[in-house]
Amino acid sequence: MNQTTTLERPRAGAAASLEVSHALTQTLYREARRLDDEDYAGWVAMLADDLHYHMPGIETRYRRDTTDQVTDLTRMAYYNDSLDEIKKRLTRLETGTAWSEDPATRYTHIITNVEVENTDKADEFRVFSNFYAYRNRNERDEDSLIGNRIDIWRETGGAYQLVRRRIILKHNIMLSKNLNIYL
Amino acid sequence: MRMERLGREPEFSRYMDLKEGWLDRRIFSDADIYEEELYRIFARSWLFVAHESQLPRAGDFLTTHMGEDAVIVTRQPDGSIKVYLNSCPHRGNKVCFADAGNTRRFVCNYHGWAFNTAGELQGMHEEYCYDEGDIDRKKNGLRQVARVGSYKGLVFATFAEDGPSLDAWLGDFRWYLDMLLDNEEGGTELIGGCIKSVISANWKFGVENFIGDAYHAGWTHDSGCRSMNNGQPFPPIDMENSYHASVNGHGWEFGTEGVGDLFLLGRPKVMEYYEKMRPKMADRLGTMRSQIFGSVASASIFPNVSFLPGISTFRQWQPKGPMQFELKTWVIVNKAMPDDIKDEVTKGVMQTFGPGGTFEMDDGENWENCTTVNRGVVTRHERLHYRCGIGRQIDHDTLPGIVYRGQYNDANQRGFYQRWLDMMEATDLGAMPPRPEPRLTGIAETRDLPGLFAL
Ligand code: FES
Ligand SMILES: [Fe+2]
Repeated sequence: MNQTTTLERPRAGAAASLEVSHALTQTLYREARRLDDEDYAGWVAMLADDLHYHMPGIETRYRRDTTDQVTDLTRMAYYNDSLDEIKKRLTRLETGTAWSEDPATRYTHIITNVEVENTDKADEFRVFSNFYAYRNRNERDEDSLIGNRIDIWRETGGAYQLVRRRIILKHNIMLSKNLNIYL
Repeated sequence: MRMERLGREPEFSRYMDLKEGWLDRRIFSDADIYEEELYRIFARSWLFVAHESQLPRAGDFLTTHMGEDAVIVTRQPDGSIKVYLNSCPHRGNKVCFADAGNTRRFVCNYHGWAFNTAGELQGMHEEYCYDEGDIDRKKNGLRQVARVGSYKGLVFATFAEDGPSLDAWLGDFRWYLDMLLDNEEGGTELIGGCIKSVISANWKFGVENFIGDAYHAGWTHDSGCRSMNNGQPFPPIDMENSYHASVNGHGWEFGTEGVGDLFLLGRPKVMEYYEKMRPKMADRLGTMRSQIFGSVASASIFPNVSFLPGISTFRQWQPKGPMQFELKTWVIVNKAMPDDIKDEVTKGVMQTFGPGGTFEMDDGENWENCTTVNRGVVTRHERLHYRCGIGRQIDHDTLPGIVYRGQYNDANQRGFYQRWLDMMEATDLGAMPPRPEPRLTGIAETRDLPGLFAL
């Protein structure tokens, strides 16, 4: 069966050591905590200079349809960003005039199903995870974004940096008015 | 088409006085008025349904909505485009659940009736159950819209059998549309895919924002502008050399500085591309239009399509009840652009006007609250102020349409609601007055028109 609406997940990877798995799982949780706390400086510090952060827009299509909606980077995407582009988006919050962030949005990122695998490069690891991101703001605005992620994390001097992330949101029509959130 | 509700006494003029410059808020929240809009506006207007580039090959299809009516748009083997209801004549089930694709036929999941891409009934599952005379296949195809037309790549459809042709509907607005659709040889295309989101607001708030509300940009989008622009705020608006132009309820607000919107895209390579192209654009469209292109500008096509020429976001506000719309967004680029420029434009649009874009993020909440406050019965009877620039109408030698001076203006919004009122009250669409009398009567080709060039 064609599975164009989900991640093509490499299956050959060998599980990383317990130590690395534990360290990277903790890293994902730390990242989620920083995003919940709007600690974007702390988050950016976890991103590699050669970051590619990608969340494609995925249409509903029949199984027989072979259109590559996931890895074709020329198509519409919520995010298709380098580190500089992420930083540019984030500067909006520093202006003091991002009206729809004041009062602040309340975020909770729940990260689950973490699997860590070795890659061809000794210092890079592939990390699968699922997310449930909840937003609530003002009186009763709320929404939930749910999906899968596949990352590459690189070890640099005892810490890990995010090199690549692909996010597959399970919405067809994003059931929210905006995406003032990183996943 | 029979429209039972059209028999009712029209009484919509009490919801506005555009000479005075006010609107009644109930048009943004009242469920009965919304129902009437579906009948009187969406079931009778020319509605955008596709860009031709989305359906390059025979059998290509996409699904969309005309008002709240679900439709399928397909490319035929002869190159024409058909539009019909996405609803089986047997019990009404949808016959297509994909957003887009390529197919030879649509087969209904319920009892297996099969339709070709022209919408004709080809066969039924277990056909022997129908006796002679039970079913006339010719009369049980998917219900076709009355008319389909296209203007320079944009495909429109209407359920109205009578009423203005697409050319007359767009009228002199084609002079403006050519800045988007025909500024370079080869025309335009949409980047693959579509990003959709849901906003709990009345659909008209999106349309009127793009049709004329330059005013909100400097305030709502201060943070967006600074983030894309190294901390710089919006440059001041030149009220002498910027305009609102309204034609048949469509509208384009624009400066003539040539770079403002390109600047906001935050992509120097795209700016360079257009700067190199500008002399050619002047040859093609005349000096005036080559200077308008790229300026701070925004536009809407009546009733529910909007775009930013220069920033290249192209979007449709699909009504989903009085207090909700779905926003469908695409990126529109010139076909002739090199791939790396198309890529730059796409990234720029998604960083500014995608749901996570530095501009887009601040719009939705405004429109939601403008709408939902009207749950209050006292609030909904309050008037809204639409008088800005009401005395600034001018005659302009070059610019067609109803033209007002000064980009900060409610003029195009008033033009939009005037057309809304025209349609809500018209029993005969053909009798609706053109607004204004067209200059380009009968001329579909708006490029290279003599006498329209001088600045
Ligand atoms: S509803 Fe379509 S075949 Fe019966
Ligand atoms: Fe805006």
